[in-house]
Amino acid sequence: MIEMSGLNDLLINQPGKKLFLLGNEAIARGAIEAGVRVATTYPGTPSSEVGNVLSELSKKAGLYFQFSVNEKVAIEVAYSSAISGLRSFVFMKHVGLNVAADPLMSIAYTGVRAGLVVMSADDPSMFSSQNEQDNRNYSEIAHIPLIEPSNSQEAKDFLRYAFEISEMEHIPVLFRTTTRVSHQRGMVELGEIEKREAVGFFKSDPANFVALPVNSMGLKEKLVQKMERLKTVSEGSKLNRIETYGSGKYGIITSGEAYNVMMDAVSKYGLDVSVLKLGFTNPLPEEMISRFLREHENVIVVEELDPFLETRVRMIAQMHSIGTKIFGKLDGYFTFSHEYSPDTVAGSLSRIMGFDTKQVSVEIDATALPPRPPVLCPGCPHRATYYAVKRAVKMSNIKNPVYSSDIGCYSLGVYDPYNEADVMIEMGSSIGVGGGFSNATDQKVISFIGDSTFFHSGIPGIINAVHNASNVILIVMDNRTTAMTGQQSNPGMNINGMGDPAPEVSIEAIVRAIGIKYVKTVDPYDLKSTLLAVSGALRENGVSVIVARRECAMIRDDRMRSKKEWKTFQVNPEKCKLCMNCVEKFSCPAIFIEGGKIEIDQNICDGCGVCAEPYVCPFKAIEEVQTA
Amino acid sequence: MRTDIIIAGVGGQGVVTAGLLLSEAATIRGMHVVMSEIHGLAQRGGSVSVDVRIGDVYGSIIGRGDADLIIGFEPIETMRAIARAGNKTRVIMNSEKITPVSLSMHDKEYPSNSDLTGMADKSIEIREINAVSLAKRAGSYKSVNTVIIGAAIGLGILPFEKDDMLSALKNRFSGKLYDINREALEYGIDEILANRSVSFS
Repeated sequence: MIEMSGLNDLLINQPGKKLFLLGNEAIARGAIEAGVRVATTYPGTPSSEVGNVLSELSKKAGLYFQFSVNEKVAIEVAYSSAISGLRSFVFMKHVGLNVAADPLMSIAYTGVRAGLVVMSADDPSMFSSQNEQDNRNYSEIAHIPLIEPSNSQEAKDFLRYAFEISEMEHIPVLFRTTTRVSHQRGMVELGEIEKREAVGFFKSDPANFVALPVNSMGLKEKLVQKMERLKTVSEGSKLNRIETYGSGKYGIITSGEAYNVMMDAVSKYGLDVSVLKLGFTNPLPEEMISRFLREHENVIVVEELDPFLETRVRMIAQMHSIGTKIFGKLDGYFTFSHEYSPDTVAGSLSRIMGFDTKQVSVEIDATALPPRPPVLCPGCPHRATYYAVKRAVKMSNIKNPVYSSDIGCYSLGVYDPYNEADVMIEMGSSIGVGGGFSNATDQKVISFIGDSTFFHSGIPGIINAVHNASNVILIVMDNRTTAMTGQQSNPGMNINGMGDPAPEVSIEAIVRAIGIKYVKTVDPYDLKSTLLAVSGALRENGVSVIVARRECAMIRDDRMRSKKEWKTFQVNPEKCKLCMNCVEKFSCPAIFIEGGKIEIDQNICDGCGVCAEPYVCPFKAIEEVQTA
Repeated sequence: MRTDIIIAGVGGQGVVTAGLLLSEAATIRGMHVVMSEIHGLAQRGGSVSVDVRIGDVYGSIIGRGDADLIIGFEPIETMRAIARAGNKTRVIMNSEKITPVSLSMHDKEYPSNSDLTGMADKSIEIREINAVSLAKRAGSYKSVNTVIIGAAIGLGILPFEKDDMLSALKNRFSGKLYDINREALEYGIDEILANRSVSFS
């Protein structure tokens, strides 16, 4: 029987049952089936749902789950579990692996005892990321195996397989998805759930686990030998397979999501191809590839982002003296940038294979449509903070301020009308970059950082700024959650990833301990107090901190709805002087103009009431809707 | 055999839920379904679209011109999705307007219907329904997406029956909520069958 899944369905031990699962839900199920006992992460799209599911199910599934402070610590926690004999799973978005790269490179040397799988969810086309780096390259730098699934079923099945590979050679395995794999929903047939030890034991072995040069010298050689032995496993792996369509005239080598879009093009145009679909991509099945090359006059490598497979396929051809013509990115047929679609792949294939692609799209100039980028929600406390900061800067007559922003919902402060992000690079960068501006220029520097990002990697930047006498105003936008990725817990909250009560780590106590004197905590809904706190900080030297604390509007909305304490605001047309400040400067998505009048959309107004404050509406024209 | 459906709207309108319901109805029929979901940065208020692919498909992305049906939850977002339409694409458009902040902050109002629908070439037929008023008649504003799904079923091009969708609704809602959604589904179907929806072409 096939049915839609509730989360608890991910726990049932009914092999053969089918569920319609998001790739990330299938991965969470794969971890449960593999008997994972410890799972850690720092939330990041497109990997976030794996953590949301495991956090919710951890106790029922008998596994320990942690939203770690950052990816580096997440991998360290999972590593100690894996060397204590517990299967461990750590997952993150692609840029998170940069943060975790330091431990990754060394744990490859020491190896593991029970299985350790490191998942990187890459984001071709940057749906929610600052770059689209291809993390398959990390498997090469670290000398660790690489597994690439294409759909939800493979995501679950291949994860189990990754644990087997990890334990076969006691080596961490890199499991790489992309947005379209993690966020594709499809049918998944469940497998058996393995039961495993819940409590580990660490047997000391310093020669293996203390990465001093004297030990690492030998460990490196062992690592290379492990990867050499895994070549044979990759040769015979069921993850690497050949499919033939028609007479198989052209050979195609592909992996991951590229396989899906390529196959959609093959079926649309009825192409005559033989496909070598690779799921185990480091080490590659060299013999299998050289045979495949020999069997075809022309082989096309279809993969997203970097020519990871292509360079290796060309290398294999060279080493085996195979003259097959190879097509890919390096000769310009495919692009290095952005995810592929059935259309882009069909376009490239048609240039190589010589067939006509039908273009039947409707003529419309979509660029003439008003854009609708993501916006801060109605009631978002960040809007109020940005509004107050901008006002304070203007009232204090500050010329050419530099706004250094960070990663979170508040990155949206870059857009009109706030324009309060001049630079934004990576997690925790706002304060380090801000300190740099203070050294390099005479401009006032205002850095913004969220609560979760503050803990993730903001603190060292603050210490650096204080110790090096930088002049920076740091505004911590504490909305009491890790909002952008779906409201996960963080160290500033009184609950942890298992749903248990946890000690709250105080942002104010941390910054005071660093030696910062000007520390103010404000409620951003109170525009006047926020404005005064910012104005005060603008008169200070050194590092000053304002904690703008107000819970995420989405959390408040859910609570108010469930308590049926919903209220909304409306514009009194008698009092409204059409000064346009609310639409032009405050710009809440609930406020719009119709028939020359300001209106508030009652379906999306969340009743925060900030627009009714005199700093936004000096004519008191915005009033609470009185329900009869 | 395959049916490709694009659902487009504004974050918070229930676009993903509609995709899940269509997918579930198809799986109840025992069909293969792949659906795309975009999560993350656009929590609320941004353009959102979901591709639902039923039948012999691999990936979750519908090729340019290949969609059989576009379900638009909002006029501007419907037109944005039509940029991916082809000559066989049918379009259902909900008339509920949500003004993008990009217009309001520059003191601009929502474009008129004729300005919007006039952007597409004449080969494409757009069926507009007022799903909000029908949803309210069914008993809840929140059943808007069920009304729109009903309208899609009313076009008669989906590879499953009304009963499959009723089963899908039953898995999700119970009691009074199910009754409201059943009613909403019927209103949507009727609106198309009775030809009360407005056509632009």
